[in-house]
This record gives sequence, structure tokens and C-alpha cells, in this order.
Amino acid sequence: MSKSKILVVDDDPDLVRALRLRLRANNYEVSTASDGYSAIASAQKERPALIILDLGLPVGDGFVVLDRLQNSDTLAGVPVIVLSARDPQANEERALRAGAAAFFQKPADNDELMNVIRISLGPGTEAKAAWPS
Amino acid sequence: MDQPTTQVLLIEDNPGDADLVRLRLIEGKSPVNVNCVNRLSDGLASLSLETPSVVLLDLNLPDSRGAETFRRVMEHSPNVPVVVLSGQDDEILASKALHQGVQDYLVKGDISSKHLERAIRYAVERQGLLRALEITQKQQLEFKNQFLSHVSHELRTPLTCIHQYVSLLLDGLAGNMLPEQTDHLKTILKSVNQLHAMIRDLLEATRAEGGKMRIEARCVALPDLIRQAVAMLRPTADEKKIGLEIGMDSRLPLVLADPDRVLEVLINLIDNAIKFTPAEGSIVVKANMVQADVSSVYISVTDTGRGISPEAKSLIFERLYQDPDSVDNNRSGLGLGLFICREIIRLHEGRIWVSSELGQGSTFSFTLPVYSLAKLLAPIVVHEGHLRPAFVLVRIDLTPLSNPPRGNWKESWQQCLETLRRCVYLDKDLVLPPMGSAGATETFFVVASTDLQRSGVMTTRIRAQLERVGDLKSKCRVTVTTIPVDLAPTPAGTTMDQQVDTLAELVTQMILINSERTHSKTEPTRRKLN
Repeated sequence: MSKSKILVVDDDPDLVRALRLRLRANNYEVSTASDGYSAIASAQKERPALIILDLGLPVGDGFVVLDRLQNSDTLAGVPVIVLSARDPQANEERALRAGAAAFFQKPADNDELMNVIRISLGPGTEAKAAWPS
Repeated sequence: MDQPTTQVLLIEDNPGDADLVRLRLIEGKSPVNVNCVNRLSDGLASLSLETPSVVLLDLNLPDSRGAETFRRVMEHSPNVPVVVLSGQDDEILASKALHQGVQDYLVKGDISSKHLERAIRYAVERQGLLRALEITQKQQLEFKNQFLSHVSHELRTPLTCIHQYVSLLLDGLAGNMLPEQTDHLKTILKSVNQLHAMIRDLLEATRAEGGKMRIEARCVALPDLIRQAVAMLRPTADEKKIGLEIGMDSRLPLVLADPDRVLEVLINLIDNAIKFTPAEGSIVVKANMVQADVSSVYISVTDTGRGISPEAKSLIFERLYQDPDSVDNNRSGLGLGLFICREIIRLHEGRIWVSSELGQGSTFSFTLPVYSLAKLLAPIVVHEGHLRPAFVLVRIDLTPLSNPPRGNWKESWQQCLETLRRCVYLDKDLVLPPMGSAGATETFFVVASTDLQRSGVMTTRIRAQLERVGDLKSKCRVTVTTIPVDLAPTPAGTTMDQQVDTLAELVTQMILINSERTHSKTEPTRRKLN
């Protein structure tokens, strides 16, 4: 079976590198983007199976990205896991409403993050099912 | 130059005095508009309609006398300047009035129009300054909170990076580590976690201080929460070879509480107990009822640590309090944990306190309100002075198809709850407040005034309505079960209250038995740093 591809979107290159190492070690293929605009471009080009998304991003923040993804015919079904340093009280609800599958506040527990990624990718077709808006 | 007209509300019952004051006001140079009423109640009514520039207030009115008069005016309209016009020159009353925020105290006999005009102008001016000060203070608090929120966000970013790389090394993703290196890394990770906890507490305390902390009270089975908290801290206690036991009344009532927040309090108290108890010591978490107070459940965490001095006891729940003896040997955090606990318990309308003696260990206790089903049931189950003939308990389970549930699970089950409330008869059925569950399954109960035979209509309606809720079907499995409530015939002479109590007791037991069965199976998952 081919590896699932995950797009990591974060403007902190150090964090991106660490996530890439960990995701590769967990047998995922990884592509990255560091701002909102390239996140969308990348998602369209690479067709990832899952996206890990920061909220505070240059050139279109995480919510803009979520909105674009939801309104895209081809990308609306891709699960998005938000990984942000922002206060969950103000942002978790909003992110989930905007279509995110899960919200993690930084620093997140890696085991749990990997677990949610695994579940979100699901067995077979589950990851492609329509995600609630 | 056009001067704005000063709007004066004169509250004065003596017509002679009122005319005199009016005359003095009109004699003055600045344009003035006087509205005169002779009772306090009329004055307050006028204040509700429009805000004058100033209130001139006689203290002895037909419906109020003395200090009470200005107290009531200021309570009604705290932002309008009040100038007292008194018949007598009473220094004590005058000083009392000024202390309570009255802008000036004038004696009627001494008033000249120039004097009065100036007194009014200054009163308006001073009130405006006070108001501006209040606004500034509010803005400063808001600014402080925003600043802390911003700082905590900025601190998290580098902290996340440290956390990620330390975990990479620890997990062997960058090559094998020597045991000593692993040890050092674990120490770093522990400090990172401490720092993380501090940032979280800082934000939480700020929220509590700004009155922005919220709880969402639900109907909660406390034993689940206590077991969950103890299970989470068991490894830490084991590490220090400290015994961690639970002692609970076998029949604890449900409490009305926010399960996440109560768990936070329990974790905080047990964690503190572990911190301050030497190796080989023991900690007991208890939950019980007290005969003198049947409306609360008492929860306590007792340790065999070194105890707390009487001076410390009175300060320990204050913000930023730190145990002076613990600074050298233990990093004790920001001193916000117990403050946050106190705020959480306060929001539950419970109490929290500590009893301790130096060298004898400490007991931290708090109370949570018992969830009173009887109070909720009474209007539903009693009809024309009699208990309705039959009841069933309908149980609705929403079991998510995935763990964690997809999308916004909370929103989904809240929608279900709303739907349920529309499915029942408001005058004879009751949808109980949601149960705080430890597992992912969400369970709702409905007490319905019907018999098992006829309840089919209701359950069919519930099933049909729930099927129509958004995309619920794609997220969870819905099961609806009906359980008859076997209420023994009441002996003669039992009051209606007692009958309702008996019914409530029975239903509570049924719910407890029913929820124990499902929820104890599922192991709690919580976001926690390792």
C-alpha cells in the first residue's frame, strides 16, 4: 500500500522540520507550506490525504485556508487537523465549525496527535467521506 | 456663546423650598431646565426615562428619609451626579454622603444662586472625571488580559519547538540514546511540561479575575471523575512510592457540576498532595455525604505530608500564594493552582477549605451541590394533587462511530438534546440534564409520565426526530431504551413531597446503575503532555 501524504502548514520552519521527521518515522509522506496562499496551492497540487494546519499564518490565516478548502470541490473532503498555539476557548469551536476535524493546542501530545491522524485517515475510504461543515 | 442647557432633576417635597431653589437656578447666568418632583419614587421613575445633568436631592421625602434617600438614588443611577440639599447642617450625615459618592452637600438656608450654579457645575465635572477614571481602569484590565493572552501565545511557540525536538530525541527518531542521555532529556521534558502548565494557569487565572471563567454544569456521577483523576496521577504517586487510595460512600448522589472543571480541581489537589508528601506516605481521596448538609457532596484529599502553618492556611487560596518553605526544594509553580480551584468551586456555588496541622498532613475539602431530581420532577409528576399513575425512564445513547468522534461532537449532542426536548410533553415528561460521561458515549434520560405499553409512541417519535438531526446518522449510533419505573404503592399518610422524593430516589438509582454499566468500561482519554 502506498504511503498517505500529509501536508504540514506552519510558518515556524523548526517546528515543520520536527513534525516532518516524526511523520516520516510514522510512515507518512510529507509535504509542507509556510503560509496560507501556498497551503492552498500545495493542497491542490499535492492532493494530500490529510492537512495539519496552524492558525496564525502569513498571507491568509488558518481560517481563510479552512474556508477555501471547504469551498473547493476537490479538497472539501480532506481532513484538517488544526495545531495552534491559540487559546482553545476562543478558537476550537470556531475551527471545528469551519470544518476542522480536530483541534490541538500547541504544545500537543505527540502520541495523541498521531492517534488522531491515524483515525482521521481511517481504513480505506473513510477519510474521503464528506466532512461535516 | 451658546451654553448647553443644564437639566436639573429636583427631588423636593416642600413647595416653598422647591420654589426657592428653582428661583436661585433661574437667576443664574447659565441656561437651566428644572424638572421638579416631590417623591423619591417619582424621582427614580424620571431617572429611568431620561438622564439629567444633575440631581438636587432633599433627604427627607414622604417615601424615604436620611441616608437611605441618596443611597437609593445612586444605586438607581450610579453615573448621575447627586447634590444633597439638606434642611439641617449635619456634619456627620454630610461626610457620610460624600463618602458614599454624593458630589456635594449644601444647606438650603445658605444657598445663593452663584453658589448653587458653581456647585452644580463642579459636581458635573467631578462626576465626569470619576466616570473617565472608571473607564480607564476597565480598559487597563482589558489591556492586561489581552497582553497576557498574547504573551502566553508567544511563549507557546518556542516551547512547542523545544517539546517537539526533545520528544524526537526521546522517541529515538534521531538515533539511539544512551541511558544517561535519555535521563537528561526526560528532565528537560519535565521542565517543559511545568512551563506549559504555568502558561495555562496564567491564562486561566486571568480569565477568572476578569470574570470570564465559565462552567457548564451537568448531572455528574462523581465516582467516575474521582477514579479518572486518581488513574491519571497513579504513575506520579507510584514513582514516589506514595499510596493513593479512594474512599467513597457507596451511594453517592449525582452532583450538578462541570465534569472537566471538577476533574481539574481533583487533579490539582491530588498533584499538590503528591508534591508535599514524602516517599512512603499516603493520600486518600474521599467523597461522602454529611448528615448536617444533605444538599452537598463533600470531597476531600488527605495527605500525610508536612502540613500547613496557620498563617499559610488563611492565604493558601489567594492568587500568587507560594509556600515559602517549598521554594528551595521544589518548584512550586506560579501559585495559581489553588486560586483557580477556588474560583472553579465558587462558580459551582460550593465551598473549598483546608484543615491541617504542621507535621500532621493536610486535608483539602470542597463541596459540590447535589443534583436534586426531586425539585425538577415535582412539577411534572404531580397532577391535581396526586402522583401520576405510571412512569418510564427512557434512555437515549449516542455512540460515536469513531473515537474521537468526528467533527464537532459537542454541537451534535447538544442538537440532539434540543430535539429531545421538542419530542416530549412539557407538562408530564422531563428531559434530564445531560450526564457528565467519562467515555465518548453520550447518554440522555427522559422521565415520562406514561406506562411501558404507551411509551412506544414516544420512543418512535424520538427515533424519528433524531434521525432527522443534521448528519447525526453518519457520526453515531442512536439507541433508545425504555425502562419501567417500579414505584411501590405508597403507604397511607405519606406526603406528596415524600412521594416525589421516593420517585426521584428510585429514578436516580436506576440512572446510576444504568450509567455505571456503560461508562466504567471506557477508559478516559484526555489531552495531556507526556
